[in-house]
Amino acid sequence: MGDLPPRSSVKRWLVTTNHKDIGILYLLTSVFFLVVAGVLALLIRIQLLQSGGTILSDAGYNQVVTSHGFLMIFWFLSPFAFGFANYFVPLQIGADDLAFPRLNAMSYWLYLFSGVLVLGSFFQGATFMGGWTAYAPLNVPSYIPDFGQVGSFATILALIAFIGSVTIGSVNFLTTIYRMRAKGLRMRDIPLFSISILVTVWMMLFAFAAYLAALIILSSDHLLHTSFFALETGSGPEATDSGSLLWTHIFWFFGHPEVYIVFFPALGVLGEMVQTFSGRRLVGRKWFIIAMALVGIQSFIVWMHHMFLTAISLEIKTVMMVTTVAISLPFDLMVFSLIYTMIKGKIRWKTPFLFSLGALVIFIIGGITGVFLGAIVLDYSFRGTYWVVAHFHYVMASSAVILIGAVYYWFPKMTGKMYNEFLGKVHFAMAFIGFNLLYFPMFIVWETPRRIFHYNSGFTMWHQTATAGAFLFAASFLVMFYNLAKSLYSDRHVGESPWSYVASPEWAVSSPPPLENFPGKPSFASGELNFLDRAETDGGVEDAATDGGVEETLAPPEEHADHASWWPFLTASSVVLTGFGLAGLSVSHFVWPFLFAIPAFVAALGVHGARQDGFAQIHGIYMMLSFPLLALFFIFFHIGIGIGELASMSAYFWAALVGAVWGAYTLAGIGYESFEVPEPKMAEQWPFESVENTKLGMWTFIASDIIVFGAFIGAYIFTRIEYGWQEWWKLAKDPAAHTMAEQALEHHPVLPGLINTYLLLASSFTVVLALSAARRTEDYSIGPFSISNRSATVTFLGLTFGGAAFFLVNKGIEWVDLFVHQGWTFGVDVMSSTFYLTTGMHALHVIIGMLVMLFLIARAWTGAYVGEGEDASTIEYFGLYWHFVDIVWLFLFPLFYIL
Amino acid sequence: MASTKTYTAIFVVLMALSTTQAAVEWLGFLEDYYWETLGVIMVLSTMKALAVAGYYMHLRDEPRSITYVAMAGLIGFLALTAGASYSII
Repeated sequence: MGDLPPRSSVKRWLVTTNHKDIGILYLLTSVFFLVVAGVLALLIRIQLLQSGGTILSDAGYNQVVTSHGFLMIFWFLSPFAFGFANYFVPLQIGADDLAFPRLNAMSYWLYLFSGVLVLGSFFQGATFMGGWTAYAPLNVPSYIPDFGQVGSFATILALIAFIGSVTIGSVNFLTTIYRMRAKGLRMRDIPLFSISILVTVWMMLFAFAAYLAALIILSSDHLLHTSFFALETGSGPEATDSGSLLWTHIFWFFGHPEVYIVFFPALGVLGEMVQTFSGRRLVGRKWFIIAMALVGIQSFIVWMHHMFLTAISLEIKTVMMVTTVAISLPFDLMVFSLIYTMIKGKIRWKTPFLFSLGALVIFIIGGITGVFLGAIVLDYSFRGTYWVVAHFHYVMASSAVILIGAVYYWFPKMTGKMYNEFLGKVHFAMAFIGFNLLYFPMFIVWETPRRIFHYNSGFTMWHQTATAGAFLFAASFLVMFYNLAKSLYSDRHVGESPWSYVASPEWAVSSPPPLENFPGKPSFASGELNFLDRAETDGGVEDAATDGGVEETLAPPEEHADHASWWPFLTASSVVLTGFGLAGLSVSHFVWPFLFAIPAFVAALGVHGARQDGFAQIHGIYMMLSFPLLALFFIFFHIGIGIGELASMSAYFWAALVGAVWGAYTLAGIGYESFEVPEPKMAEQWPFESVENTKLGMWTFIASDIIVFGAFIGAYIFTRIEYGWQEWWKLAKDPAAHTMAEQALEHHPVLPGLINTYLLLASSFTVVLALSAARRTEDYSIGPFSISNRSATVTFLGLTFGGAAFFLVNKGIEWVDLFVHQGWTFGVDVMSSTFYLTTGMHALHVIIGMLVMLFLIARAWTGAYVGEGEDASTIEYFGLYWHFVDIVWLFLFPLFYIL
Repeated sequence: MASTKTYTAIFVVLMALSTTQAAVEWLGFLEDYYWETLGVIMVLSTMKALAVAGYYMHLRDEPRSITYVAMAGLIGFLALTAGASYSII
């Protein structure tokens, strides 16, 4: 499938992979979530009209406060910014689209369906109630009321799906910005908004990976009843809630960068708008960018300033206080740069500028009040009060105010129509007054305790003022919706740019831009923007320059690119049913839907493969193999649960089953779909010139996965240090060990781990040999015997699969022994929790790798990857993943089997 | 890509180092020299990881920028683990 239906067709919006379409989808969806989260905010403010509340129950208030936070931060603010990023980053860097358009669509649909899942959690008893920080132990089942168990877990699963979207998006933007810039566009010359997105996606790649690890561990506490986050070590006065502390560490390692993840895209637009409406280049632009990058790095070493009231040591608190104060310095530089640009320029008081200026004032107030929280002693008083609430709304919501300004700024470019300036200014006035009326009183009555609706009755007037401000702020958005809707159908057409000073390439194309973005291949090689003829001519030098007719060497012709695919939508849709079902399943039931999905995947590989490559033996084998596999899992099911129980299985089971099988079918479909995305032949690609897009994408994904596994291993190390590092080991080796766990560990020998190390190393070796065979030009021959490269490739891939299968069998034997024979189950103690979950997470990676290998084997069998005109890179990219899984095991082996 | 001989030699070394790690435990060094042995075992794991990354993942042949991408993830892991662990010592 390649071409797109027209925009008037519903199908267009379901199949599109075009970055501008997806940008619009992101913007509209995030505005929907803004409205939902905004209504929740109004409910909070109505509840706070008087101390003790008005309309909500205790549990209702907790749900509303929690969901408001989740939805605003995750499902509105970042996706809203990334709607603009989707639309404008390729335009600003001179690319036709993002590097991986289908993954971009997948990213959007995962975002949407994760949002459906979190909204659906309200109807599964109750959604999560423990605040957006989800502090332990309020996030573990034993601290959640029964009626909230399923909905709470559904919320956690929705967050995991959302992070899937974020990770795919981060990989995509990094690859795009590094590899697809127009010729001559140096990194330092990229427009500010795109630079801010670059810094943001770096932070997202790592920060969300840590959060993902925390959420997977939390899911394990819910599903498998492991005991990470409810763990207490020691006893009596010496007891420590080490589980709570662990959650707080991982959460804020993510959570503090998240503040900048939300703010930086807005900061980038702010820089662009200040430039445009001051009519001059940003003062100290280079230093502004360096400061932004510096904050991006520093954001990962300040997280414990959110933990000054926990049991961490005073030494580390002091270090974090210093790093926190230090991070404000680059921000000062950026703020002064913006202010000085305005002073030196000639201001045009258009609506986007009013929002920029207003947001800058708001951000400065938010920043200054945050410095108080960075000081340990002051934080002791301010923590858990409305000072914090006011501060972070001044910071986070300032980014929303900037992005609203960006709506007005880019509306003419996206629609080709001009908004009504008067209504825009009315919106600003209402929003600015409403915002400050809402949040400033919170500084005045800062002693109001956070998260509850009981406060000193003397504060009532200020809280009622805040509520009035909230409604004014909300009403201002109605003015915007009316303005934009009316303007869209007006006859106020605009040309390339409605602004008299612009500094980024999106303003050099028509409004709205054409599907392929540019009238020719954009190039900055001459020092200014030119559009080169895409068509190949015999050495001719044609130039379609828009600004001076500079001669350029012709760009090589571009290959045809596909723009449409059903599979991202279809694949992501499986998340809803799977998540809905999984949330309500018990530990004994949850695994079966996924096991039954495996034969479905194998069969789907056969079906899709036969359709795409023409029927071959391997497709028949896969189709036939799926039946005994299914029968095998049915036998297991009968032994474990009983076939007769199927009739009484809950709706959750069937939902998870259908969702998992649907996901398996669609994943095979997306794997086999032919979707052409040519890499640009003429692009600025420093510092990754000699690395293909997919390889860079794979490496950035691996970097993210390093953090995921790192957080698991970090959690293990933290927990073990808290327990006593050597005590842990000594107990395991003590012949006088008397507890069940200790006996299990005593009989938990090195050998199974060593055998699995051999198996994984061997499979790493064979996958290298498979790549080597695919790239050979001559067949293998030993004496009279010869084997074709195709057969050798299939054989080595098969051996790799075999190594992985034996790894799992060996692990299965080991686990059955520990689990069944020795009674050392998931939640017996923290040792069993860390062992099963960390090595289980690794095993999950092995299983995913095996499923991909089945695909590779089928493709290699039918002649892909080998010989003239074929590209073996797919095997290489898979190999990167597989070797990474191997490397992780090289550390898990000593940590869990030797030390 | 390196030659098949090189890949085979790396494989043999990896297997030997893994056996050495297990042997250290079997010989009882952990009983008497726990921290020293821990250090040796982790160094051996690091050597194995570097061999896999350098040769099997071809990091030796890629531009250094790819190594820096992977290093960024590694530094993030070390920052989280070291910071969190130090906070409770």
